[in-house]
Amino acid sequence: MSELNHVTKGIQRMDGEFIVTGRAQYAVDIRLSGMLYGKILRSPYPHARIKDIKTASAEKIVGVKGVVTGKDIGHRRFSFIDTPAYPAEETPLAVDKTRFIGEGVAAVVAVNEEIAAQALNFIEVEYEELPAVFDPEEAFQDGAPAVHDVIEPNTTTAWEDFGIPKKLRPYKVVNNISNKTLIENGDVEKGFKEADYIREDRFVIPATSHVAMEPHVAVASYQPNGNLDVWLSHMGYEHKRFWFAKLLDIPISKVRVHKTYVGGAFGGKISFFPYEFIAAYLSKITSRPVQVTLSREEVFSACPPSRRMIITVKTGVHREGRIIAQDVKVIDDVGAYRNSSPTAMYLTHVFRNPIYDIPNVRHEAYGVYTNKLSTLAKRGHGLPQMSFAVESQIDMICEDLGLDKVEMRLKNFRKKGDVLPNGDTLRSYALPQCLKQAAEKIGWKGKYGRKRLRGLGIGTASMFSGAHNFPFASAAMVRLNHDGKIILFTGQTEFGNGVDTVMAQIVAEVFNCNIDDVIVHSGDSEVCPHDIGNWLSAGVFVSGKAVMNAALDLKGQMLTYAEEGLRTPIDQLAIVQGRIVSWSDKMKCLSFSDISKYAIQKASGDPLIGKGFSKCVPEVYFWREEFNKMGSLSSGKGRFTEAYGFAAATAEVEVHPETGAVKILKIVVADDCGTPINPAFVEGQVLSQAVMGIGDVLFEEVLMKVGKVMNPGLLEYKIPTVADIPEILSIIVDSYEPKGPFGAKEVGENSRAAVIAAIANAVCNAIGTRLYTLPMTPDRIRQVLGETVGT
Amino acid sequence: MKRRIVLRVNGEDNELFIKPNRTLLEVLRQDLNLTGAKEACGIGACGACTVLVDGNPVHSCIALAIDVGGKEVETVEGLSQRGKLHSLQKAFMKYHAFQCGFCTPGMIMTAKALLQRNPLPTEEEVKKALSGNLCRCTGYVNIIHAIMRAAEEIRRSRVANE
Repeated sequence: MSELNHVTKGIQRMDGEFIVTGRAQYAVDIRLSGMLYGKILRSPYPHARIKDIKTASAEKIVGVKGVVTGKDIGHRRFSFIDTPAYPAEETPLAVDKTRFIGEGVAAVVAVNEEIAAQALNFIEVEYEELPAVFDPEEAFQDGAPAVHDVIEPNTTTAWEDFGIPKKLRPYKVVNNISNKTLIENGDVEKGFKEADYIREDRFVIPATSHVAMEPHVAVASYQPNGNLDVWLSHMGYEHKRFWFAKLLDIPISKVRVHKTYVGGAFGGKISFFPYEFIAAYLSKITSRPVQVTLSREEVFSACPPSRRMIITVKTGVHREGRIIAQDVKVIDDVGAYRNSSPTAMYLTHVFRNPIYDIPNVRHEAYGVYTNKLSTLAKRGHGLPQMSFAVESQIDMICEDLGLDKVEMRLKNFRKKGDVLPNGDTLRSYALPQCLKQAAEKIGWKGKYGRKRLRGLGIGTASMFSGAHNFPFASAAMVRLNHDGKIILFTGQTEFGNGVDTVMAQIVAEVFNCNIDDVIVHSGDSEVCPHDIGNWLSAGVFVSGKAVMNAALDLKGQMLTYAEEGLRTPIDQLAIVQGRIVSWSDKMKCLSFSDISKYAIQKASGDPLIGKGFSKCVPEVYFWREEFNKMGSLSSGKGRFTEAYGFAAATAEVEVHPETGAVKILKIVVADDCGTPINPAFVEGQVLSQAVMGIGDVLFEEVLMKVGKVMNPGLLEYKIPTVADIPEILSIIVDSYEPKGPFGAKEVGENSRAAVIAAIANAVCNAIGTRLYTLPMTPDRIRQVLGETVGT
Repeated sequence: MKRRIVLRVNGEDNELFIKPNRTLLEVLRQDLNLTGAKEACGIGACGACTVLVDGNPVHSCIALAIDVGGKEVETVEGLSQRGKLHSLQKAFMKYHAFQCGFCTPGMIMTAKALLQRNPLPTEEEVKKALSGNLCRCTGYVNIIHAIMRAAEEIRRSRVANE
């Protein structure tokens, strides 16, 4: 490949001045004239019928501009997943009954937050308590309280709106089962018969909160012409504006999601939320802008944290360590609403599948309703939970059979070029190199098993680079300005990932121009084309490719005019430092600004706009009755993604013999992300994920008691502080993904899962006993240390 | 009952009539439109709202505005002088010390207070100073690095000026 000038350079953020001066506008900072403030009244019961709501006293309070209840809004259902098989079931406010403590039952809009909060106390709700169920394994049983009965879909589901044939039917919930997935490759029973050694283990993973520093917030402003302007804290506008339009019954083109800075998301702001609808609805009924900002307590107790899972893994191996069969059962305690569970239950398989080459696999997963806070994606969406379970068990197998933990994994890894059972191909696969480097840098060979209460651990992970799922593809536009600068329009959302800068690097690379000559217009649904959003780890791979294609399109147009203008064949032209020059006669050259003028003067005012697009898996589509290679969430068949990223992590820890406290001495993460477009940002993602993983293993858990969140504040819920940071080494392994822009693919989401598994294994290695539950708190460790000493 | 206070922020006096229960953060953000300081927890646990009062870092979400009347309040908006960025701001940009940026104003103000009382802190001292500031994005590593580099930079320019 020719030398790269912008891509692979760790340049600083282009929008940095906005952030360091405090001038970056987040949704919480939006001030509109006449703006009102909304507050939500929440259910104190985990399961209760709403018999009556009296709002008259609240409405009379001076400064209150309106009160709405679930009855006013009605059965407008939304969900992250809304397909004919799994129709949406959540409503913005509870209509007939509440299903978890914290569910909204009414909302007030007032001239300020204080009055709105006071007015909530004057709403009288008469509840009839219903029996509730909190344990997913109990919820499964016959006779357990039913969280849902029959889910009546909206008139159409989201997937039908996108073009799949209508097959609308109510979803009858049996045994609280929200969704199920069964994936079978090979024959596990046959595999177990051939195995020399089999073990089965059960792991329990609690919910952890995303704790994005910016709380959840929405500002909505209905315009006199019926247009809806919104400012959100989010991860991509397509999903949001689809649900605004559908629930408010207005055309999607009337909804504009404005660009805002986003104060962190981590998956926790991916779906559509009740407060977003409520802000819009309150704006509609008052004809004034409305802001709804959730308190931190509301974020903890009413917004979905990560998925709670019980994972049982049964694995059969040959004596020398070759895995021949694996049977996985996942119970996903979804809480009151399904959200993304069907996706997650599929992903728990999909994310482990590209790592180990196991001939016989069975993966059975259930989403189960309980009367608790619902759950959602968090950095890896099912991967961290599965990595913890599977990597823990692989360590145990190695211990049982006396195998080297590095060698055993290497023996079972897939190979570059492998085609997975669903048809995905591993065109790039540097996981073995990742593991070797991570093991070497932690000093695996010299240190493993040498010191009491010191432990070493390994974790691996794989992650897709976008999927065929909604909204399927991204597009981008670039426009040449009269001064020669290039404006990029992309629907990508900057929430800390550095995506604006990364996209500018791609454009500058294509044009071989100065990075400052690229202006990025992102995250504005009105002026930017459709975009897959900053989720599914698709930002660089899908949208970056679209941006690259748009730049190439414009570059082609510019070269055509240069050919005319310079009377020089196109193959003799090159772009050198922002100018188009002739190879043969260096005196012949045109600046980008000249090209713009030429096009306007000599080509009927051609504005020189380039467009580009990219779809993650182009061969997957549906069009009316026609389906092509669609992946199925419930059977795992069909193409899924075009490229997988990989990571391997190692950790070294020390456990205090009396307190049980874990000190992490070092973490190494080796990442196979293809070409790093900006290595500094890649490292930033890796550090970020590694530190989040420390919290996941050692102390984070959304504690629940009879359906109530017991630690809904940052004093009770500890996240890693500066004092918790060990030495972290991030390695970018040499790799090239042929389908990605400049060879790039997914980065970041892998690291958290790999680090969680690595630290967990290191702790268990140090204490000489296995812990099957996260987090590994000093209490839990002390307990097993006591047992070890006692016996 | 509203009370009259004169709130001096970034070198400018502001006459305000406010209820005594209002926090400094509310008054900065709502009355003075200085939205650099952020509310992320509302209970003084995260440091996103950090501003300086007479040079000391204060969680403005749990400080009452009437208590700081007559004192010198500094917010992130007052840090750059005539469009010229402070060394801390430049270092945060150069060393990738932010991602989403929501905690950044609080981090920078905490760091400024540290460098005022301890111009050449050790890494341990930087960590200690930042122990009340939460960041969920960066993993803190680059923040520590940026503050150490900024301290060196400030010292170097001071030596050059002498």
